[in-house]
Amino acid sequence: MGIYFSKLFERLWGNKEVRILILGLDGAGKTTILYRLQIGEVVTTIPTIGFNVETVTWKNVKFQVWDLGGQTSIRPYWRCYYSNTDAVIYVVDSADKDRIMVSKDELMAMLDEEELRDAALLVLANKQDIPGAMTAGEITEVFGLGQLKRRSWMIQRCSAVKGEGLTEGMDWLVSAITKG
Amino acid sequence: MYTLLSGLYKHVTQKEEFYILILGLDNAGKTTLLEKIKTLFTGTPGMPPEKIAPTVGLNIAKIPITSTARLNFWDLGGQREMRSLWPQYYDECHGIVFVIDSCDEERLDECRAAADSLLTSDLTLNVPLILLANKQDLPTALPPHELKERFVNRIAERMGARESGVMAVSAIEGTGVKDAIDWIWTRVQRNRSARPPMYR
Repeated sequence: MGIYFSKLFERLWGNKEVRILILGLDGAGKTTILYRLQIGEVVTTIPTIGFNVETVTWKNVKFQVWDLGGQTSIRPYWRCYYSNTDAVIYVVDSADKDRIMVSKDELMAMLDEEELRDAALLVLANKQDIPGAMTAGEITEVFGLGQLKRRSWMIQRCSAVKGEGLTEGMDWLVSAITKG
Repeated sequence: MYTLLSGLYKHVTQKEEFYILILGLDNAGKTTLLEKIKTLFTGTPGMPPEKIAPTVGLNIAKIPITSTARLNFWDLGGQREMRSLWPQYYDECHGIVFVIDSCDEERLDECRAAADSLLTSDLTLNVPLILLANKQDLPTALPPHELKERFVNRIAERMGARESGVMAVSAIEGTGVKDAIDWIWTRVQRNRSARPPMYR
């Protein structure tokens, strides 16, 4: 009963907290992006063992953002965080061509999860400031994003250290989540 | 007994799903149209048009059209590099909405080429298609009869046996949008033996 009232309340006042996961291989730039979004600055990060969780407010929408560590050994634990997730931000190191297929496989395995069936997907093609980085178009093709038909998705080129592309990505995420 | 009852329950509550592709060049107004459709059919306010950025991916809107059926709109990006993704959505769609920027005379040939490759694909054979001459609210818009001459008539032979139509709309103001959706809804129902709905 209480749940219904609080749901109704959320509907009326619209400050529902949206749950978002930031995922990607180690070194993709997940933590840098999280703090870029939250405080607008580049912080010095160390590899995340475990997770960082912060609240980010964007266009009146409150996001609870979970940044999970990306090392091989801790990737199996991602799934513990999947339930009730509204959207996934998947960060790709566009300059790391050697591991692009690993990144693809992790993404596809994640999207197969039942709990993430309705989650919107924002792919951030990060590190565009590095010469020779793959373009968003190339990554779209390698990842086979055209096969995604039951969820909204977007790919956005960005550079977390320069702060480029994140605004566009987040604006899209807000609109994708507020869609009925 | 349980199976019987649950089967009955499923039968009564199951919903038909139809997928409608929204295609056209970049900046034709596809996402603006999608937002307007949401506003008109579900009452939820869509994104304000000035906030809409170019789509590099896929936007989905799920619109309940009757108590037992739903139209799911796929709004795909229209930039050149996104167009290579279009065919991956052809064989699962039930209807196509092709949006034309009536003000963009310069790219009319490019637009026709995009429509041409869409219509000549085997995967869209006999799929109902409506061409929308968008941006009719602007003074520089080519009037529908001129677009018919310079665009529609030249791809007419590619239409084949499919049901097709042309309508003048303004996605931003919403003029003609409801008629266009009603049109496509009627046609996908008529075409259901060729492309049956999915069930949820």
